[in-house]
Amino acid sequence: MLKTFSIGGIHPSDSKISKDCKIEVLPLPSKVYISVAQHLGAPATPIVKPGDAVKVGQVIAEPAGFISAYVHSSVSGTVKSVGPRKDLAGNNMTHIEIDVEGDEWAEGIDLSDTLVTAIPEDNKAILEKIKLNGVVGLGGATFPAHVKLCPPPGKKADCLILNGAECEPYLTSDNRIMIERSKEIVVGAAIMKQVLGGCPAVIGIEENKPEAIAAMTAAVAELQKTAKGYDGISVMTLKKKYPQGGEKQLIDAVMGRQVKSMGLPIDVGAVVQNVATSLAVYEAVQKNMPLITNVLTVTGDCVPMEKQHNYKFRIGMPLSYIAEYAGGIPEQAVKIVSGGPMMGKAIANLDATTVKGSSSLLYLTAEQTVRKAESACIRCGKCAEACPMGLEPFLLQKYARHNMTDELEENAVQDCIECGCCLYSCPANIPLLDIIRIAKGDVIKIIRGRAAKK
Amino acid sequence: MERLIVSPSPHLHTKTSTKSLMRDVVIALLPAVVVSVLFYGWSELLVLGTSVASCVLLEYLITKYLLKKACTVGDWSAVVTGVLLALNLPSTTPWWVVFIGAVVAIGVAKMTFGGLGQNLFNPAIAGRVFLLISFPTYMTDWTRPQGFIGGGLDTITGATPLGAYAEGGVSAISEISSLDLLFYNIGGSAGELSAIALIIGFVYLLARKVIRPYITLSILVSVAAFSGIFWAINPEVYTGPGFNLLTGGLLLGSIFMATDYVTSPMSNLGGVIYGFGIGVITMLIRYFGAYPEGVSFAILIMNSVVPLINKWCHAKKYGRA
Repeated sequence: MLKTFSIGGIHPSDSKISKDCKIEVLPLPSKVYISVAQHLGAPATPIVKPGDAVKVGQVIAEPAGFISAYVHSSVSGTVKSVGPRKDLAGNNMTHIEIDVEGDEWAEGIDLSDTLVTAIPEDNKAILEKIKLNGVVGLGGATFPAHVKLCPPPGKKADCLILNGAECEPYLTSDNRIMIERSKEIVVGAAIMKQVLGGCPAVIGIEENKPEAIAAMTAAVAELQKTAKGYDGISVMTLKKKYPQGGEKQLIDAVMGRQVKSMGLPIDVGAVVQNVATSLAVYEAVQKNMPLITNVLTVTGDCVPMEKQHNYKFRIGMPLSYIAEYAGGIPEQAVKIVSGGPMMGKAIANLDATTVKGSSSLLYLTAEQTVRKAESACIRCGKCAEACPMGLEPFLLQKYARHNMTDELEENAVQDCIECGCCLYSCPANIPLLDIIRIAKGDVIKIIRGRAAKK
Repeated sequence: MERLIVSPSPHLHTKTSTKSLMRDVVIALLPAVVVSVLFYGWSELLVLGTSVASCVLLEYLITKYLLKKACTVGDWSAVVTGVLLALNLPSTTPWWVVFIGAVVAIGVAKMTFGGLGQNLFNPAIAGRVFLLISFPTYMTDWTRPQGFIGGGLDTITGATPLGAYAEGGVSAISEISSLDLLFYNIGGSAGELSAIALIIGFVYLLARKVIRPYITLSILVSVAAFSGIFWAINPEVYTGPGFNLLTGGLLLGSIFMATDYVTSPMSNLGGVIYGFGIGVITMLIRYFGAYPEGVSFAILIMNSVVPLINKWCHAKKYGRA
């Protein structure tokens, strides 16, 4: 019996249309716009000014707090401007505009293909490299990676979980890197595992990615035979169920432990990192390569097979440039999503640029995505059955519509992970998550306010 | 593609809708409908037709002219109520009695509370119980009309197995074999006729994930356990589990009426408690009550407890054990 998480979950069609499309490298555009807010936490502070010459991999913005990250230039050329530009939701954020000239890399970056399997011994130096190279979690939240790898005093990691679930329909970038860069990912895992004190590492992959499972299993076996420091790493095949890749769900599936409400994974001895983060850690530590590239899937039901792609992009490329290069926007598309169809963001501004965590350009048709008119709740309980947190969305939305914050808190609205299972399952098309998301924000504010007063 | 839609996640939606769920319930009822029409003939068709047409028409008229809101008959829930009400009535019921049943089911039990999703009591059962109390002669006339197939040509007023037991005790039902009960009953409402047809519907509902099995199984298990204990103590006085599971409206009630989304508890644990209550009350009425059959009353009584059950039973939450 394959393992999976114990509460709720749904089974949408996985639609991994582009799973066999090999990763292609996108050519450089003439201009990039690099955002200083590509991570969770405080936006970074720009340290370049118009007219400065920059090289690929050079730091152009520094962290502005403990939870923040370095940002590097993804191209070589001249800084044209530093100022506000709209992100994909249409909000203004500081971007650094660079005119691309050639492709000259900063010194100290190893551009060769050689696999470096020997892991440095000094954990402090490793963490410093991860931080200096701007590595953030690439599973969705873009939380600075080095922070997660330093458990607070008194807390110990029992298990490093590598998230290769890729449970969102359509997305295939993690699948491709697990097939094409399997060894690098395993080296990354070994590095993080050593930093965490040598706990076992489990790479969790859903059963619908047999090629990735085979490649990762082979990579682990080979590295265990030929190099030191790779014991205790294993691949675990998981049952296909959304949202398996949710941090809390994955911990439940792999370790059989549940994180307490408002708690952190490390409280139950878990550290979860995405496989793409592991690859970024490998490049940062073994190759001194900053996080300036990632892989993005161009896909959708309305995209013909020859226009389905997995692209290696550099940060700062306008999404419109990628869409154009991939063959234009399909006519039937009415919505473009950055990220998966369950938790991704609808793009309001296609001139926005790629960031470290960009994972897709997903084209959806009207038939797929236009919401139908809401009708009366028939109390079928399908939302509660689907909720992976064991919440009762039908009840929460009722309380939320009446602003009953005490009842909302009692019924754990703050535990909502916004996975969308409730809204997806509702036969009456009630916008459950839309309503609950707002209520959750209000309740968390109240909880934080109460904690601050004490 | 000039303008893009921008809305919050999720961006996909299940194909299951209220309409598709209700349609599935109607499909699941088809085997029972077919069997009852085959064995009860034209008179059963008349009851079914009157019931479904009245329920749909009444909901249409009430939403349009009384409530003045969007018409909801497109969601198929009125059709479900119509079919269930018909299957709960003897096939000899006059059309105007069926119509009164529909008025109570749709007009009183459903629309008065605000329509689908708001009603406290199962509409079809409310209609049936109203008729049972108001028109007892029609409602207990188990004359077997001429069917399209089957040997029931005699038009002598018969009694249901449960009716016979209520009057004559265990000896009055000694000649009924359980095989008769499983395939087609010797007398009763259309929906009581064939256990097999109802069970096919149950399997379909489970396979299509329309209902969860907890409520139905809880009712059946508690009826079997309750009657099993009494039967073991004194088989001369009390009927056994097999007889009780297959007679009356137990299967129809436990599969199609007690599992009504709106009037049953939301959680699995709540469903088990609710089913246990229905099972026990049914058997109390059958053994000790004035009526031969108790499923309808049991479901109505437990319907009224559902809000309390929902308050007590919640799903198990992640990380809060």
